[in-house]
This record gives sequence, C-alpha cells and structure tokens, in this order.
Amino acid sequence: MDIQSIQAQIENDLSAATSLPALEEIRVKYLGRKGLVSELTGSIAGLPVEQRGQFGQQVNALKNKLQGFLEAKEKTLKTQPGVSQKTGVDIGMPGIAREPGSVHPITRIIDEICAVFTRMGFSVVSGPEVETEYNNFTGLNIPLEHPSRDAFDTFYLKNYSKLLLRSHTSPVQVRVMKTQKPPLAVIVPGRVYRPDAVDASHLFMFHQIEGFLVDENIRFSDLKGVLELFAKSVFGQEIKMRFRPHFFPFTEPSVEVDISCIICKGKGCSVCGRKGWLEILGAGMIHPNVFKQVGYKAGLYTGFAFGMGVERIAMLKYGINDIRLFFENDLRFLKQF
Amino acid sequence: MKVTYSWLKNFVNLKATPEELAQKLTMAGLEVVSLEKQGQDFVLEIEITSNRPDWLSVLGIAREVSAIYGLVLKDTLPRETKIKTKELWPIKISVSDKKDCPFYSARIISGVKVGASPDWLRSRLESLGCRSVNNIVDITNYCLFELGQPLHAFDLDKLSQREIRVRRAKSGEKILAIDGVSRQLDQDILVIADSDKPVAIAGIMGGKETEVTAQTRNILLESAVFDPVLVRRGKQKLGLQSESAYRFERGVDPQGAKRASTAAQELILKLAGGAARGLKSSGAVQSKQQVINLELNYVSKILGISIPAVKARQILKQLGFQVKAKAAGSLAVKTPSFRQDVQLPIDLVEELARIYGYEKIPQTLPAVKPARQAPEAGEIISGMKNILTGLGLHEAITYSLIDRQLLQRAGIPADNGLIEILNPLSKEQEILRPALIPSLIRAVAYNLNQQQEKIGIFEIADVFSGRQNAVEQKPALGIALCGTEAFFTKQGLVRDEITLLHLKGALEILFNRLGIRDYGFVPQEDDTISVTAGGAQAGFLLELGAQILENFDIKNRKVVLAQIDLEKLFTAVNLSRKFAEIPKYPAITRDISFMLRQDIAVEELLQTIKSRGGALLAQARVADYYQGKQIPSGFKGLTLSCTYRSDSRTLTEEEVAPLHNDICALLKERFEVKLR
Repeated sequence: MDIQSIQAQIENDLSAATSLPALEEIRVKYLGRKGLVSELTGSIAGLPVEQRGQFGQQVNALKNKLQGFLEAKEKTLKTQPGVSQKTGVDIGMPGIAREPGSVHPITRIIDEICAVFTRMGFSVVSGPEVETEYNNFTGLNIPLEHPSRDAFDTFYLKNYSKLLLRSHTSPVQVRVMKTQKPPLAVIVPGRVYRPDAVDASHLFMFHQIEGFLVDENIRFSDLKGVLELFAKSVFGQEIKMRFRPHFFPFTEPSVEVDISCIICKGKGCSVCGRKGWLEILGAGMIHPNVFKQVGYKAGLYTGFAFGMGVERIAMLKYGINDIRLFFENDLRFLKQF
Repeated sequence: MKVTYSWLKNFVNLKATPEELAQKLTMAGLEVVSLEKQGQDFVLEIEITSNRPDWLSVLGIAREVSAIYGLVLKDTLPRETKIKTKELWPIKISVSDKKDCPFYSARIISGVKVGASPDWLRSRLESLGCRSVNNIVDITNYCLFELGQPLHAFDLDKLSQREIRVRRAKSGEKILAIDGVSRQLDQDILVIADSDKPVAIAGIMGGKETEVTAQTRNILLESAVFDPVLVRRGKQKLGLQSESAYRFERGVDPQGAKRASTAAQELILKLAGGAARGLKSSGAVQSKQQVINLELNYVSKILGISIPAVKARQILKQLGFQVKAKAAGSLAVKTPSFRQDVQLPIDLVEELARIYGYEKIPQTLPAVKPARQAPEAGEIISGMKNILTGLGLHEAITYSLIDRQLLQRAGIPADNGLIEILNPLSKEQEILRPALIPSLIRAVAYNLNQQQEKIGIFEIADVFSGRQNAVEQKPALGIALCGTEAFFTKQGLVRDEITLLHLKGALEILFNRLGIRDYGFVPQEDDTISVTAGGAQAGFLLELGAQILENFDIKNRKVVLAQIDLEKLFTAVNLSRKFAEIPKYPAITRDISFMLRQDIAVEELLQTIKSRGGALLAQARVADYYQGKQIPSGFKGLTLSCTYRSDSRTLTEEEVAPLHNDICALLKERFEVKLR
C-alpha cells in the first residue's frame, strides 16, 4: 500500500468517527504498537538502501500528520454536544423553554437613546399627537405663510379648526416651557405625522425624539458636548462628527449634525450617498422668540434643543433598507429584535 | 440653486479648488449637494435654506465666499443710460394696492434685434439648467441668476394702450401662460394687466400673448417687488412653480429691483441694440435697514467661545453689514437691505459662528439639574412592555391613521365621534383610529398569510374620539392572539390552541405585576368579556365571530383580542409593596375530583366553597381540568385543590376532615357534582 492511499484511508476513517471511543479505535489502528504506522516503519529494513532514507521521511511525515488530525478531531468531538455517559442526557436535543416575545425595534432605539439622556439627568416627557396650530407652529416661531412651512407639511383635522396632527415633537417644548420654569432637561419621544407620499424612505407616520436643555447659562459649546456624548454612546466611540450650520425657525444658531458613515467608515458608499457623512439630527440654540412666546423674561435664559428621526437611526443601526417594514409587523421581522 | 465656479470667479479672486470650495460652503451652511465638472467649468448645486433669499443669486453666494476666504468682493454697479426728454415714450403704470406690490418699475427699449444669444451667455444659462430662448429673455434670466431679482420682458406693441395695471384678477379671467397652459384666475391672484386683459401672473409667470418673440421690436422691461405671501398663495393655488415665484415668496432685496433693471437694460443695449425710451415706476423701495447693538459678551455667552473684536468686525463687513465700534466690546451693526432675515443680536451671533467656524467652538458638558418628578406614565408603559414580552408577546406598531372601511370590517360602527383628516393623501389616512383592535386584526391576518403558526402581538398607542367638540386622545393597550403554540415538555412537543383563557392568563399576570388588586372578567350579553380593574370597567376581551373572520379572510383560526383603557388601568396601578408574613405552620391540602355540568360557572363554585370553608380554608383553586372520553358530554372534569391552614397552630387531620367532607357535601347538594 502506498503512503498516499493510506492517508486517504485515514481521512475517511476520521470523518466517519462521531465519538471519542471511535476516535480511540482509529488511533490504535494506525498509531498503536501493532498499528499500520509501526508496520510501515518495520518494513524500512527490507527496502534497498537507497530508498530507505526517502521512505523513512515519508512515514515520519505521515505519522506527524495523523497525530495532528487526531488532535483536531478530538477537540471537535469534545466541544460538540454529545450524549452524557452518566445521565443519558443528549444535550443536542432542543432546550425546553417558552419562546419569549420582543419589543419593537423602534421602541428599542427610543429606549436606548432615552437611556443615554436620562443618565445625564434628562426627564422623559410625552405630549399629545393631536396638537394646536399654535404649539406646532406659531409658538415655535414658524410663520403660518412662509416657505419655511414647506418642510412641515401637516395633516389638519376636519371640523376642528386650528387642530392638527403634530408634524414634529417640538410642540412639547412649548407645552413644557409654558408650565414650568427652568432649569429644564427634557427628552420627548413620540409619533409624528406628515402627508408624505409613501416610499422606501418616507411614510406619513414616523417617530421623533426631541430634547431640550434650558437654564441660565447654556451655551452652544454645551450643545456640542451633549450631542457628541449622545452620538458616541449610540453609534460608537470611533465615529467622527461634524456640526454644519443650518436653518430652523425655532433655533438660532441652528445646526445639522453629521456622523462619519457607520457603514463605510467615511470612505463613501451607497448608504451615505458617497459623501462619507450621515445626517442624524437637527439642533440649535432655542430662539429668543420662542422664549418670548412661552412668557420667559427676555435675556434670562438660554438653552438648546435637538430633534431626530427614530426610524432613520434604526435603519442605520440595524441595516434596514425599507421604512415600511417597521409598520408591516411581520413576525419574521419583529422576532429579530 | 446652481452656481458655476467660473461665474463666482467674476466676483472674487478664488484660489481654492472647486472641491475645497464645496467643503467650505457646506461647513458655512450652504450645503453643496453635488459638484459636477462641465467642460472647463464646475457646477455646484447648493441647498439653500428658506431664510436666505439672498443666497438665490451668484452675487449672494460670492459674498459668502468672500467672507469665508477673507477676499474682496468685486461688486460693480451697472451704468444708467441717460435719455433726452424728447426721446421718451409715454407709458402708463397703475398699482391698485401698494400692499400687493410695493414697487413696480417699467423700462421701455425700442428697436431691439431679437435673436440668438452669444455663446458665453447661452452656455452660462445652460450650465445652470436654464434653456436658452432668445437674447432678451436670456438676459432677464441671466440677471435673475446673477442678482436674484426676477425680471420680465413684454412685447410692448402687444400691450393694449401701452398700459400696465397691477391688480387682482377678476373672477372668470383666464390667461395662457408661457408654458402653454391656460389657467383660470380669481381675486386671490395678482396679475399684470394691460388696459383690457391679464398679461402675466405677477411674480409667477408671464403670458404667452405678450412674450418676446423674433418679431418683437419694442419691449417693456418689468422689475418689481411683490408681496411674498400673495405670490406663495398664488403659486399654490395654480400649482405652478417657477424660478421667479421661488424668489418672490422668500422675499427679494427691495433695493435689488432697481439695480437688476439697470443691469438688464445695459446688457440689452449691448447685445440686442435698440434705444432706451424711459423708466417709469410706482411706489418706493422700502429698505428696512436697522441698526442692531451687538455686545461681544453676548456672543461668548451664547457660543461658549469668544471671537476677537477685529475678527468679528471683519466677518460682518464682508457679509455686507456696516459696523461701527460703540463702547469697548460693543458694535453697532447696520443690516443691508438684502438681509431682512437679520433682526436680533442672536441672528448676528449665528453669522459670526458660521463664518468663524462651528468646528472652532469647543465641546463642554453642562451641569444638568434633574427634575424632581414622580414616575411618569411612560415608565409604567415601559414596565408593561417588559412583562408582555416576557409572556411571549411581540410588540407591534400600527398606523394611527386608518380608513373607515377597516373599522367596518372589524365590526366597529364608523359613524359618529370619529376624527376625520381634512387633507389625507389617500383613503388609508381618512380617520384617526378610535380603537386598536382593527389594526391588530389586520396584522394577524397579514401574518397568517405569511404562514405563521402562532401569533401573539400587542400595541400600546393612543386612540382618538370626538367628545363635545373636543378631541379625546388616550393611551390604550391592545393584544391579539391566534394560532397554535407548540412547545417542548419532557414528554415531547405539546400543541396548544390559543383561547380566551390564554388572553386572560396574560392579563392576570400583567395586572398582578402592576399591583392591581381588584380586577375581574365579566361575560356580557354580546359575548364579549368585560375587564374591570379597581372596580371600574377598563376594557374587554373578545373572540372574533365568523363574519369578521371572513371580512379579513381568516380561515379555520380562532382570533382573540383585548383592548384596555390605560388611563383607567393606571388609576388602579399600585407599585408599592407590603410584605405579608410567611405562614409559620404547615398546611394540609385536599384535592376533590368531580364532574360538573358545563353550564355551571367555576367562579360561582369557588366563591361558595370559600364562604363555607371559613377562616381555616386558606385557598381553594382549580388544580386541573379535562374533557375527553371519560367525561360524559355536557360535563367538565375538574380537580379542586383546597388548602387548610391556621396562623396559630399546626392543624390536624381530625380537624380538617369534617370541614372538607362538608365542602364535598355542599358541592353535591348545591351543584349536583358527581365525585370521581
């Protein structure tokens, strides 16, 4: 028998072995005192002198290889679930437990984000989804007939004039500030509504998280610090951030916050539109006109506010590419969270 | 807004590459969304925020570039052509309401040669995506893009009586606009009319009849300021968008109207020949320039960084503000006419921060002062979600907006008290839902179609109803169960078809965990089961009937649902705990197995036993139940477990036996049970 066919035979035997005793049998068969390998070693003496050296090396190589195979197989068998000799329990059988449920991925993200802010001392507050036109617009320094309203297309209620479905969670700023004096550190998750045509990234209902901090000496640098802490907690310490000037009627100065793309690490990919940056939230220093609307004394307080879309963050974090999946409630989707 | 690199270089000595420029503009608040090479030039597409109409021009963006790079803005004013009195042509202008049109100007130019534009003009417009029409129209568009002031040229000879009337349209009037579409006008729309008909929709689009064509010899060049709200309403009403309306609704620079008119005439005379025949205008240019006092301390109070006074003055000057130092650390800043958005010191702070660079502002952490608050409903809801998911339920989120028909399919009357949406985009957004149940049934049906064997979902969301002219919105919990749960036991797989009792079990655990003491499940006439908590009605359970199952195309499946009013439930929630002493003495347990008539309620039986058992009967509960071959039809097999215990001594068999026998006798007499 030549060395190569012996090796093929060994491999065959090894793959058929499913237990440690079976493996031991193979070891004895090949490496035992009367095993095939010692038989081969013994046959060297009968060879012509010029062949002995090479054949001896081949047998040695075979022996080393076989030992390696046996060790590897033993390791696999030992870490694989098998039948316990003592109790007869086959631990490879299904475990006995009732299947648990799951919270919705949107709830998961909201909880994760709120937890970051509550650790910093923010309180979670909620507000009504049916809002007044005043709280949704005028109180937030958004003029009723101005192009800045275009970003806030809104569902109105029939037979209830001046009532609408809130198009953002910012009206809760007005509600809280009208009833409480600073210091305020508030975070507001909730449903919002906009008459957007439905596609893979737009829906007429989605979730936002609004946050605001108002006190006597809150500065833009505080906004940067708090939002950096937030973004790094949620997206990872290694992300880069940039703060871009922007416009929102209820903040001045306003900012849009980008993080380096978490998919391509900033190199540019289809998710970030080759830009390397992902916009994750809008923010700014609360406009003095908003403080005026809620009746705070001019110049007494400063503060910042921010808002973000929960679905967008969930899509980025979980790699979901169609926003409609969130509300189809397919159990094969829900069970993944 | 598109702008080309070379056009910007007309105004500033740019050395930066287009890529660097795009990056800097983005970080100053002019987000460059695309940068494309076009021949030797580059086109930057910039997203302009709605507060900055002055950025809707090459000049406006160049001004920004000059501030970012600290470069001089080469802004040369156009030359006015002098006209001798005898060369003037008469023209009549009337504006019916100064509020609608604070300023209107018209120039007459005679003897122009309408033809193709020179290459440089044509290619500049085309690089911004604007089609070249003829030299006159192209020049008006060129001035619009360069200076941000929309202009319009009319064929003077087609204006009846050579007259311009700026007025509201009369109802019934129509206009054929230059896009070839005829539009019905009304009194909400401002028009430019001649002596007998509208010739343009003011600030939005010109009319076809009076447009400049190859045959045109004499033109009237309009440069005006229209009321932004009026233009906005008009374009919304007509469903018409144009470069002109886009600028007017944001508000144009009141002083820019005169300048653009002069610049356009200069270019027309140069490229199309002809002679200037006069300028007539109505109204005055209102330039609301104001002086704002800016304390540099205020800047650092807001930003958390101090910007040197010299730097602050330089930035503001380059942005077009006039700056005078008042006292130390205080500036008097006069706003230019094109910055109507700047009204408060905070607006200047933003200008400084933008150009100085947001990236230069440090990151600090404020001292947050947490509020002293009792736990909010949100925290109870979070706890509820934990309990329900622990019970194997999956949280669903369904739309709060639904169609009326979904309610009807779910057997809920869709008539009064519904909150309707005024402007839904589709039928699916018709009403705000008054109940969670219909959406949950739909989710169950959807999952059955996906071959799911066991469906257990819940949702916590607001439901809406109209009460006496007010909208009532309150949180509700909905649960839906359906299908067969399969789970392993030591004996192998067990299949368990879901019933109302599964739903009851989940709610009992939920209520117990929430510390709700007094709850119950009471069958109603209509086959639903009312749920009470804290003695008050808080919701219901139901199993879907055949008709509703059919409406949702659900076959051979039981669907059970619950809806609980959370406001009511919360009043019964008690999260505090009181420790009850662990019994000191052992108990004696006796089981009774018997058959009970199907129509007798177990609850009634248990109540009777408890009152008979007295103080020593610590507990009586159903320990097992069965139906099957050994049990005759019309009966159910039950095993009750009675626990006897005293708090003061160890009970003996002799004490318990008569009491237990008594209970067995009672069951036989009162409930006709057959002991087994």
